[in-house]
Amino acid sequence: MSQPDYLQPFADCLTQSSQWLSAQAEAGEKHIGYFCTYTPVELIHACGFVPIRVMGEPGVVEQAYSLVPDFICPFMKCALEKALNGGFKYLKGVVQGYTCDVSCGMANIWKENIPGELYHTFPLPYTDAPATRDYLHKEFQAFIHKAEQAGGEFRLERLQSSLDMYAAIRRSLLSLYQFGEDGAPALNARERHIVVQAGYVAPPDLFLGMLEALASQKPFNSRESQAGIPVLISGSLVESVGVFDAMEKAGARIVADDLCSGYRNLLPVDGSGSGPMERLIDRYVNRFPCPSRCRAENRFPLLMDRIEQTGARGVIFLIQKFCTPHLADIPELTRLLKAAGIPVLVVEMDESWRMGGQLQTRLEGFVEMIDGMYGTNHGKI
Amino acid sequence: MEKSKKSTKRLAAAKELNKVVGEYYLECAAAKEQGKPVGWMPPMNGAIELFYAMDLQPVFPENWSPVCAAFGLTPKNFEVSEGMGYSRDLCGYLRNIVGYVNGPMTDPAIPLGGLPAPDLLISPGGGCVPVMKIFHALERRFPEAKVFKADLPQVALEEIAPHHIDYAIQEMQRLITFLEEATGRKLDQDRLQEVAALSDQACALWDEIMSYRRSIPAPFSAAEIGIMFVMVTRQGTRQAIDFLIKARDEIKERAESGTGVIENEKLRLFWDNIPLWYNMGLFNYFEKANAVVVAETYSAAWSIRLDPADPLKALALKSLMSYPLVSCVSIEKRKEMVLKACRDYAIDGVVFHRNKSCVPISLGQMDIRKALEDELGIPSVIFDADHMDARNFSTAQFQVRIDAFLEMLAERKGQTFKT
Ligand code: SF4
Ligand code: SF4
Repeated sequence: MSQPDYLQPFADCLTQSSQWLSAQAEAGEKHIGYFCTYTPVELIHACGFVPIRVMGEPGVVEQAYSLVPDFICPFMKCALEKALNGGFKYLKGVVQGYTCDVSCGMANIWKENIPGELYHTFPLPYTDAPATRDYLHKEFQAFIHKAEQAGGEFRLERLQSSLDMYAAIRRSLLSLYQFGEDGAPALNARERHIVVQAGYVAPPDLFLGMLEALASQKPFNSRESQAGIPVLISGSLVESVGVFDAMEKAGARIVADDLCSGYRNLLPVDGSGSGPMERLIDRYVNRFPCPSRCRAENRFPLLMDRIEQTGARGVIFLIQKFCTPHLADIPELTRLLKAAGIPVLVVEMDESWRMGGQLQTRLEGFVEMIDGMYGTNHGKI
Repeated sequence: MEKSKKSTKRLAAAKELNKVVGEYYLECAAAKEQGKPVGWMPPMNGAIELFYAMDLQPVFPENWSPVCAAFGLTPKNFEVSEGMGYSRDLCGYLRNIVGYVNGPMTDPAIPLGGLPAPDLLISPGGGCVPVMKIFHALERRFPEAKVFKADLPQVALEEIAPHHIDYAIQEMQRLITFLEEATGRKLDQDRLQEVAALSDQACALWDEIMSYRRSIPAPFSAAEIGIMFVMVTRQGTRQAIDFLIKARDEIKERAESGTGVIENEKLRLFWDNIPLWYNMGLFNYFEKANAVVVAETYSAAWSIRLDPADPLKALALKSLMSYPLVSCVSIEKRKEMVLKACRDYAIDGVVFHRNKSCVPISLGQMDIRKALEDELGIPSVIFDADHMDARNFSTAQFQVRIDAFLEMLAERKGQTFKT
């Protein structure tokens, strides 16, 4: 699909990053992959590596089944398929925060099967206490040691500037979620998705430059249409922009998200502390809660805040099939949301990422149901 | 073969197990009546010993699930949790226990008296996601229980460093403070040492019991792995030791006198992943080809020795090690462990249960399988099932796969076996 000019660099980045990154790798750049946004990218960067988020390519999974069962999420299956097909040759390894069991196991399966020099899983704490922070400090130091053995080089000043750079990126991305005076967000969900995803596969300094160029072009001319029932989508990773189109086609308008490939990764923008290490630790113990690391009831007030801020009328859980953390939270979150008068729909995606006819019908039914609840104003806010 | 079948027991110890299981659950129920604080916790951690040392009652919801499967309560529990919106794709332990506590728990007709409601919940951060989510659901179901929000680094065995151990020790200390405050009981250090020593002795006995399975013919098979019950629920008690000594003596005697599980043992098998609790009879299926399952991955989780001189550190280490020992946190170590077991137990073939209810154990199986072939030339077979949900198990598929496998193994050894 053709893009407005200001989006083209981001769309190009998504389609061409493999080539760029491969060329950069040949020129000596060291890229490290990560699956989950609980991974301290600033630290990896400060060790002299470029963190790149591993994402799959929706489609048919074949080869990966020689290494993993079919009952794991499409994200991990597609990513492994791509890796086995040589799609991540530019990576020097995978560094991963332990979030779910699949990402942990997968990091180990990559280590066994995809050649690389640096593999590491951060056993991240679940609580925030002085002992926790002290522990995390030592954990980060242990990683630095390992990274240096794999050819990295850590400098505290560089950590300071990496923290600044990633904070600037997050701040800038967050502004794309803010609403303008006319009540519409700066970009619509599809456009925002393209921008945010590009950030995962572009080196951060380059990406920051792209965001600055984007900001200079405000106001954008593709304001979100006012039509459509405003909804919030919640889940892990969205790998195909097509799902946004399908939702829109069904009459929904995505005004907010709770996705690890979206809004959830942006908060907090930064951590605070007396030095760069403390700042880094502070951010990672205060991450916006993800179901793999917290209770459903801790997520609920945050979802309600987003719903109130954005005027969402319903929640669509857009789940990767088999994703345990999300599936396990859904019963309680659904109960709480429904009790608060918010309708809920659960949509599970397989590795094709296609919204088939049946799903489309369910989406349409959901949107109509909300529309009915709000009488004649057709969900407009 | 029926879809659900109990295994054939040959050990007297296995028969005595029914008594041991019954006594444990009676003790749980009695604790409540006697005003002894009851705490629910995941089984693989050092909190068990602390509980016994402080004369508190530990209860293990994960372990209750196999009991539910054995008594046929599982389908009802699934119905309840699925009705609440829990997906069929979630681990069966989670669906079973959530269904049980929100459904038949209050039914007076529940076998073994059911589980007493918790006064304390040792709610884990760490371990697998399903077990963490089980406890979140329990916190909701039992709002009056006092909750300890535990934290533990999920770190591969080969990566355990001093700062992980220090953190785990600090967590142990935090747990002790919580228990003391919540129950008004004081931990006696001497008693803790004693309990740690008992726990270590149980592990030593367990290792000894396992070592007799190296004998050819094997004195007992996976069909009787239920004897592991005391390792799960009774770590640090005299009851565990008494039971294990009896089991050890019987097994030793069988090994020394050459009494095998079957008369004519020809093939020795290794089983990876959790058994099908609703169909333990599967372990006898192999016997028609004179094959015996002589070792499993799962039983290795209980071979963690404890240094009673430093019980806190020992328990911290146990907490750090037991889950990674059998899960995908440590594929490298698990591979080593399976390969070593295959050498030690003279294994001819490996049966991989690809378990829809346990992603952490099922991930990495293919790498282990490859290493078995490449390094030891040991063939293996994979079949799909589920340790709790009989709906995810096809007897026909199992039989076809296993028959072909056994035939191939027999041929390799120059034997004749035709299905
Ligand atoms: S959280 Fe869910 S979607 Fe994300 S890696 Fe884990 S299983 Fe997959
Ligand atoms: S069976 Fe596996 S997934 Fe389920 S609770 Fe146990 S370790 Fe976790």
